[in-house]
Amino acid sequence: MSQSTTARYASAAAMALALSAALSIAATPAAAQSMDKEKCFGVSLKGKNDCAAGPGTTCAGTSKIDYQGNAWSLVPKGTCDKTASPTSPTGFGQLEAFKEKKA
Amino acid sequence: MSAAMHSTQSGFARALLDPAQACPGGLHTWNGSDPARRFAVYRNNVTVSLVDALADTFPVCSALVGEPFFRAMARVFVAERPPQSRVLAFYGRDFPAFVEDFPPAASVPYLADVARLEMMRQEACHAADVEPLAAEVIAGLLAAPAQLPALRIHAHPSVAVLNSRYAVHSLWAAHQGEGELAAVAPMLAQAVMVLRVGLDVHSIVLARGIGVFIEQFIQGAELVVAQQAATASDPDFDLVTALGSLLHWQIITALRTGDDDHEHTD
Repeated sequence: MSQSTTARYASAAAMALALSAALSIAATPAAAQSMDKEKCFGVSLKGKNDCAAGPGTTCAGTSKIDYQGNAWSLVPKGTCDKTASPTSPTGFGQLEAFKEKKA
Repeated sequence: MSAAMHSTQSGFARALLDPAQACPGGLHTWNGSDPARRFAVYRNNVTVSLVDALADTFPVCSALVGEPFFRAMARVFVAERPPQSRVLAFYGRDFPAFVEDFPPAASVPYLADVARLEMMRQEACHAADVEPLAAEVIAGLLAAPAQLPALRIHAHPSVAVLNSRYAVHSLWAAHQGEGELAAVAPMLAQAVMVLRVGLDVHSIVLARGIGVFIEQFIQGAELVVAQQAATASDPDFDLVTALGSLLHWQIITALRTGDDDHEHTD
């Protein structure tokens, strides 16, 4: 086995150890906090959406009507489909954009 | 577009950005007022709106040098490098390099890097959403350690690193109500990583070697190359902490192991 091949194996082993240690100590991923929120469509009042109100808009605060079906708000996870939305076919907010029914 | 029209439009655009030029000929106003005066108003509005866009993107730079200096500097930038896109969110991309070479700002050597950090935060805010790779998938690498030195990653599009010769994060943070500006020693080198988690943009100070490592690794260098560069720049470089940062901030979106170039993206 050549010198460089030996070195390569040694460094591979060291890297495996480092990765293994990093995996075991990596605390709760940073995204966990934002993960407990979800995008909820159809629950924001006019102009109060967090983002996404269709083509040609620049996101936050651009929804034109109350409970607009393609505008979302960030809400605690699990609460979206329990939030009333008069325009939603299900009567509650949805995790995907929807076409509003007459409120 | 005819050549004549093209020449008329580019002449109009040049005059718009250069107050030393005369009002373009052939202009008419609806109410018969002086076209030169109306053109001057339009010229002023164009410049002010672009300077405003830069002030929105670089508020800390503006605070560091004061608004009058900042706006005067931005005005020169606007005249020299008008926007090439209608998306003003990214208009400032060339601004840090401009600041670096702007002689009147030479007495504030860290200003360009603070501008870089502010632009990185802007870019991170608008970067695409990509799902990070699950820790279990990354743990799967341990099954074939021989592949690790040649490992390359794809990083989340919002992630960028600035290895600055100045205390760029501390200067920025002091303007966000974190710490006293007077207590910051601006000439101390600092490495900062910017990324977005959910909808929040974060700036994280890194140890010098980790800054070098992450910068190289997210730009597609092999693990062994990034590690060697980091160790060369910082004898205290610690690979465990570096990999731990990548995992904690969920930066890895795909793995590429050298020999087969096989992509794991699930």
